Amino acid sequence: MTTAALPVRPARPNGWWGMAVFVASEATLFGTLIGTYAYLGLHNAHWPPQHLAKPPVLTPTLLTAALLLTSIPMQLAWRAAREWRRASAWRLLALAFAVELGYLIWQLHDFVDLVHVYPPRGSAWSSVYLTLLGTDHAHVLAGLVLNAWFLVRISSRLTNYRLVGLRATTFYWHAVNTITAVVLAVQVSPYL
Amino acid sequence: MAVVERVERLEEIWLERPGVLGWLTTVDHKRIGLLYFWTTLVFFAAGGVEALLMRTQLAQSDERLVSPETYDQLMTMHGVTMIFFFIVPITTGAFGNYLVPLMIGARDMAFPRLNALGFWLFLGAGVFIYSSFLVHEAPNAGWFDYVPLSLRQYDRGHNVDFYALGLIFNGIATTIGALNLIVTIFKLRAPGMSWNRMPLFCFALLATALSLIFALPALTADCILLELQRKLGFHFFDVAHGGDPLLWQHLFWIFGHPEVYIIVLPAFGIATSIIPTFARRRMIAFPLVAMAELLVAFIGFGVWAHHMFSTGISTATLVFFAAASMMVVVPSTIQIYAWVLTVNLGTPVFRAPLMFIGGFITFFVLGGLSGIMFAAIPFDQATTDTYFVVAHFHFVIFGAAVFPLLGGIYYWFPKVTGRMYHEGLAQLSFWLTFAGTALTFFPMHIVGLLGMTRRVYTYDHGLGWDAYNLVETIGGYVLAAGLLAIALNIAWSARRGPYAGRDPFHGGTLEWTIPSPPPHYNFAVVPTVRSASPNWDEEARQEDLERLERDELVLAGGHETPTTTVNDAELSQIAEMPPESPWPIALAVSVTIAFALLLTSHYASAGGFLALALLMLAGWHAAEPEEA
Repeated sequence: MTTAALPVRPARPNGWWGMAVFVASEATLFGTLIGTYAYLGLHNAHWPPQHLAKPPVLTPTLLTAALLLTSIPMQLAWRAAREWRRASAWRLLALAFAVELGYLIWQLHDFVDLVHVYPPRGSAWSSVYLTLLGTDHAHVLAGLVLNAWFLVRISSRLTNYRLVGLRATTFYWHAVNTITAVVLAVQVSPYL
Repeated sequence: MAVVERVERLEEIWLERPGVLGWLTTVDHKRIGLLYFWTTLVFFAAGGVEALLMRTQLAQSDERLVSPETYDQLMTMHGVTMIFFFIVPITTGAFGNYLVPLMIGARDMAFPRLNALGFWLFLGAGVFIYSSFLVHEAPNAGWFDYVPLSLRQYDRGHNVDFYALGLIFNGIATTIGALNLIVTIFKLRAPGMSWNRMPLFCFALLATALSLIFALPALTADCILLELQRKLGFHFFDVAHGGDPLLWQHLFWIFGHPEVYIIVLPAFGIATSIIPTFARRRMIAFPLVAMAELLVAFIGFGVWAHHMFSTGISTATLVFFAAASMMVVVPSTIQIYAWVLTVNLGTPVFRAPLMFIGGFITFFVLGGLSGIMFAAIPFDQATTDTYFVVAHFHFVIFGAAVFPLLGGIYYWFPKVTGRMYHEGLAQLSFWLTFAGTALTFFPMHIVGLLGMTRRVYTYDHGLGWDAYNLVETIGGYVLAAGLLAIALNIAWSARRGPYAGRDPFHGGTLEWTIPSPPPHYNFAVVPTVRSASPNWDEEARQEDLERLERDELVLAGGHETPTTTVNDAELSQIAEMPPESPWPIALAVSVTIAFALLLTSHYASAGGFLALALLMLAGWHAAEPEEA
């Protein structure tokens, strides 16, 4: 087999493009949920309703800040993998994974509390607020599962296939963080 | 290695196992395209029977053929089937899967296993939603399922749950298919096929797939919110708790109006494939038509509220959406002029495929004219929910979207089967479907203006509607006869038709450069492209043969296909494609069971099956090709 007839140019692999389209679809889903929150807010004089205390924002802000920082080790992990430094890539990925896992456990613990304080059957605000938060947590969980998968996969060896997968996962993780930051903005919005 | 040996080697590499097991584990885009084709035809037949039952019920006043409850289910399932389980999957799934790789010079789709998964999930979603008939709880609140009618207090059975979960499920399958089409078109175009040389059919499919990616999430979110309200008591749509029933309509039509273009755009693509071939000249205004196809998809996202003119939203909003709706006329008209002028300036040969395109243009113009009328707010408010609306969208959806499909079936039939269809029977089927469509849907304009509202189960005698309805019903049966004639032609010709050869119509695109039916590997040598009509570029095709002899870009080292850069389609790398796999169908079965359990509120068990699906994904990726 030969490709000598034509010049060869480096380009992003199919897997990266697949992930980019998937992220576009997911971002639209979140856009729809955030739009729902905003739309219902416009149709209510008080949003959240007056009888409900404003939702907590300090802890979510700190947690989200920690989560955003995980983009750094994720990006470095991908860079190390690209240079075939497998052990470094694994350690960086493990670091990101540990922080992400801590974030999710804390958030899920708080989410259970929120369900009790703002029961979703109580009002449209609590329904849409908890739906948005729950979807975001599910989104983080999906990223965690992907990270866990690559922790296992690159623990033994690196292949081109895994490299492409890790690149796509890193991209996905940046998207998870960006969307989580936007969701945080929604959480903060009652104070504005 | 001699040329013959190279080709035999390719055949060996790309051949899949024979028999039923081969079809169940296939990742070949052509086989998956055929699976989509036959499956969607079954759904089309189901939707057609539902339509005929409704038309028979409405043939005369005070008819009692079916009960009101059954009529509601027939009416809802007819719409759901035709839109979600016929038109979209046959265009993107069947035509897109089969033809796009052939047209862009690829050996498969970008993600072959994902492609198979998309099909099996689609089938699972179809089986899921149609199983509702077995328990007499088929969806019954109309294809757009407005709240509050679809809330639990007014619709207590599982009918709406089948609808909402079925559409979420189908949405996953459709998203997978759209994603695959986008990446395939971005990355697998043959070297040299820059954007300005890509077939307009692929532009249309790209616009469709992009629209699906950005439109479907709104429907998915809407259905999730509905299920959360119906099953868990959340509040999104009820005013008493701060919700808003119009939220459903906004989200539905943010999806629903782009969906109209999702339905029609592939038809545009088929028209732009058939017209140059039978007009014997290149497409007029190629770049303008390509841009118009993308523009239609883009504008389609800004007009959703024109479906809501009678809901009491503010006048300023109405005017904005009315103006936006008018804008769709511009790219649509560009295309109509380009089609008509290409035929007019060429030397057209009126064989069956072009005749269907003639029917398409006729109905598209008629449906478009009534569409413009709806952009006039007072007219829309006066005719909302009458049969005038039904007439308009059937002219657009059946006349403008299905006619090119039927023409496309004839056009690519020789490529897929290697045999010619029967031209006489094909032309007869055209006239039957044309007459049937006109007879069925044109009188609906009149009866709509006379005040007949849509979705009525029956009507009283003496309202002046009887004769029109009888004509519509007769038209429905004529239309069915036309469709049966097509089915008969396909069935007979696939076995008895004369051999077609490689290129019976002298088409311009790459699929006509390879044998009919296409070999498993598609192209013996990866073609290079220098124009928008590469099959008419004899010099480039001669170079392909020379490269085959020199073993350049034959890629017989494994399941290989080249990937190229997004803009200029310069060769980027050789991708190793995965072989056939049992994981897609196994995963789809698991997800189907999970949705059935969600329907019956067995959430933990459903979670278990989704976890099982996740484990299967691990198995899927355990065996990995060298490159991706």
